[in-house]
Amino acid sequence: MRSLTRILLFALLLAGFNAQAQSPDLLHSILNQLSQHTAVRARFTQLRQSPALTQAQTSSGQLLFVTGHGMLWQVQQPYPDTLALTGTRTVRIEADGRMQAMHSERGVSQISQMLQGMLTGQLDTVTRQFEVHADGSTAQWSLHFTPKPSRMAQVLRGIQLDGGVYLQRIRISMQDGTQTDIQMTDTHDAGPLSALEKHALGLP
Amino acid sequence: MTQRNLWLRAVGFMLATLLVALLGVWLLFGRARSSVQTDLLAMLPATERNPLAEVAAQQLAHANGDRIILVTTHADDAQAKAAAREFRRLLAKDTVFASVTAELPPFDLQQLTAPYLGHRFGLLTDADRQALAQPGYDPKRALAQHINEPFATAVGARLQDDPFGWLQHWLEQQPWSRSGLLPEDNLLTAHRDDGSYVLVTATLSGSSYDDVIQRRALSALDQAERSIEHDHPGTRVLRTGALFYAAAARSDAERDVHRVGLISTLGIALLLLMVFRSLGPLLLAFLSTAIGIIAATTVSVLVFDQIYLLTLVFGAALLGEAVDYSIQYLTARANAGATWNPNRGLMQVRPALLLALGTSLLGYALLGLVPFSALRQMACFAMVGMAAACLSVFLLLPALLRRPAKPLTDFSVRGALALQNAVSRFTTGSRGVLLAALALLLAIPGWLHLRHDDDVHLLISPPAVLVAQEQQIRDITGLGNGSQFYLVQGADEEQMLQREEALEQRLQTMTDAGQLQGWTGLAGMVPSMRRQHANQALTAALFAQPEQTRQWLHDAGFRDADIERLLQAWPGTPMGLQAWLKTPLATPFRYLWMGDAAPNTAASLVLPQGNASHALLQQAAANLPGVTLVDKAAGVSGLFGHYRRYASLWLLAAMLLIVPVFGWRYGWRSVPRVLAPPVLGIGFTLAMLGYLHHPLTLFHWMALMLVLGVGANYAVFLHEGEPHVTHRPGAMYASVLLSAATALLSFGLLAFSSMPALQDFGLTLLLGIGCTALLVPASTASRIFSS
Repeated sequence: MRSLTRILLFALLLAGFNAQAQSPDLLHSILNQLSQHTAVRARFTQLRQSPALTQAQTSSGQLLFVTGHGMLWQVQQPYPDTLALTGTRTVRIEADGRMQAMHSERGVSQISQMLQGMLTGQLDTVTRQFEVHADGSTAQWSLHFTPKPSRMAQVLRGIQLDGGVYLQRIRISMQDGTQTDIQMTDTHDAGPLSALEKHALGLP
Repeated sequence: MTQRNLWLRAVGFMLATLLVALLGVWLLFGRARSSVQTDLLAMLPATERNPLAEVAAQQLAHANGDRIILVTTHADDAQAKAAAREFRRLLAKDTVFASVTAELPPFDLQQLTAPYLGHRFGLLTDADRQALAQPGYDPKRALAQHINEPFATAVGARLQDDPFGWLQHWLEQQPWSRSGLLPEDNLLTAHRDDGSYVLVTATLSGSSYDDVIQRRALSALDQAERSIEHDHPGTRVLRTGALFYAAAARSDAERDVHRVGLISTLGIALLLLMVFRSLGPLLLAFLSTAIGIIAATTVSVLVFDQIYLLTLVFGAALLGEAVDYSIQYLTARANAGATWNPNRGLMQVRPALLLALGTSLLGYALLGLVPFSALRQMACFAMVGMAAACLSVFLLLPALLRRPAKPLTDFSVRGALALQNAVSRFTTGSRGVLLAALALLLAIPGWLHLRHDDDVHLLISPPAVLVAQEQQIRDITGLGNGSQFYLVQGADEEQMLQREEALEQRLQTMTDAGQLQGWTGLAGMVPSMRRQHANQALTAALFAQPEQTRQWLHDAGFRDADIERLLQAWPGTPMGLQAWLKTPLATPFRYLWMGDAAPNTAASLVLPQGNASHALLQQAAANLPGVTLVDKAAGVSGLFGHYRRYASLWLLAAMLLIVPVFGWRYGWRSVPRVLAPPVLGIGFTLAMLGYLHHPLTLFHWMALMLVLGVGANYAVFLHEGEPHVTHRPGAMYASVLLSAATALLSFGLLAFSSMPALQDFGLTLLLGIGCTALLVPASTASRIFSS
């Protein structure tokens, strides 16, 4: 179940959205704008609130996203931790560079397929699951995703994305009260990738 | 013998035939279940020495066998889903389906995690177990990493129940989480570039091999498909399941029986009319073979309880050999002209018929020694059929053929004589030896080209469309029928699970290396007690000092009440296999447990997924006690090869068996000449198969055994018959050619069968009988006749 949610969130994060929204022109402009950057780096701060926890949890670090290959999520605080979320699996990269497979769910393999699909213009993957609502302008926009009645709606309340030229903020709200708020700053085109990064994301 | 005696015998024989026929009708149609076995795999021998492996194979076949997997696909997602819903609704109306499922039942997260909560500390994934076992494991860091996982956090188990995420990881690697299908709009759906694929499954209310069930299910499916294709244009339906394979095999075999049976009947009828110039002999020849077939079918069902489709197809071909006996008697009558006396005629053909029958029975008895139930059944069928047909010539035909007949048509006798003289001229003296040497020289390159092929697919060749659809469905859903599996046995459940774990560790390594798609086994869902205790021991390092644990969890932000509950829950109890098997989650996997199959032992199945080679799968089981790879197809292929290698020895043995019979009857000096036609026929057939680049199979060798039998018959007929027809040279060879033509018409037509095995069989007979019939005059070549 978690993999399912993550796939869709991931897909949402990294790609564009369909024209079933209220302002299709705005949506298309946003998508167009985002897809011009095939590899980006950013600083992130993730704030998580859960009914199980007395206080919100904060983590922060660097992320690298490469269209069609996946994402490197490098936490620096509270503990250093590097995860590579690629098309086929989630891998933890140890301090010494060793890669350790965490999950080998088959569902994750759909990420790259969905991604590739969306960037080549097949955007219905997201609209099958969500009602999409866009507002603002291309300079400062918000996208709201509400799950259509389905199994997904039983666990996920909604997602909101905010951004301008780049994606700036992701807010995920679960039915059990868990909230995740990811803020991205200092976003820029990635430039050349290091050998480790290429290796982790399975790039040549 | 008096007329009255003749009649008494005939009437007695007909009464006996009638009784046998009635018994046959009751056996075939009067019993609750069908006596015709369409499951091609059922006639494969028990390949495994382990009897439990057979039970396991049956259990697996049953779990997969009565299930149909359907996938509706459409470029438009909504259409694909609507089609799936309508498909389910239409099929559910028909009682031939016990259940039809498209929409998923109401779903409750608690239901998924609840059965595991009490046992969670014994259930760890390999990754978590390895991490916990490392000396530098930092619980505070592990907590922080789990709580701060990117994007959404745990959806399955509640965070306070599973602060380290162990249970979450465990649930994620369970088979139902790994499926390529995702629940969307309550339907299991997959998306590909060309559109959406939606799963519908159905279970039959009976066996896939029951022909009534087959017909009803197929017509319901076809109707429903037409209806949804009409309502949702552009929808395609993919289907797979044993039902479709069984139905295809049945219709192929039925078509073969009809086609071979019909054409050979018509051909033989035409030939007999041309030679004997009247309808009477024709009807009698058919009566005699029909009696043979009826007796053969009845006895085969009686002995083997059911009759294989392959035997019926083979039986259709057998018409050609059974008709020889009546042809001999009819020829004797035609040649006797006005001086015909049924009893004297019988005396005249008796040695030839008995000798021919004797050599045939010897040949088929040898075939019956093969420990392969399908071959045994064919041997039984042939022996009974031949004997009954021959008996009918002795007991029935004399009473029906009391009046003299017209002689054989002139052109057939003259044609036969011309051929006989031509062949004789070339095969006498030094010229014959030279020609034989030359022919053998030409044959050598052909023999050198001979290769062999023992693939089981000779016997089972499902239509390419069905195979392609199954492949596509397997790609999309991960579901499909494999005939390869591991059987894991232990003295008790615990030992069995431990052995499974050893196997699954190797399978997982293969999966990580990309050699295997994955595997499904019980130990992946319920670890052994040893493994669960080891897992609990690993977590003990974290929970042994509650004060410390309390502090970590508190610092991570957990609530005191939840922390107390977690500490109370540790270490929990191990999960028992029997308890787990009773949970609803276990329903789809219960067939993996073989508990009921053998007393005092425990056994289970592990299914590998993906297209790994037999050798690789075998390697994974190497040196693991209690683990057996069961690969029915590979096992049978091996067996085919084994039999094929011995088949040449059987052929030699059969020839040697005939030598003393011929030596006793014709003198030892004549044996080489009498045996030459069938032996050379076989040699030349092998050479031609080599030139045709036909890899030899067991079925080629089976056919060569028939060539030997039939060829010996022809030599016998010619030798025994000629002294009686000195007034009409060529008449005897005409009857032999007639026999050969009928055999070619029936056997040879098998070359056009849809089953590769029967094609091989037919082609070999076509070549072998053709050669032998041409060479037969050489066996009497010392006498040249002129008209």
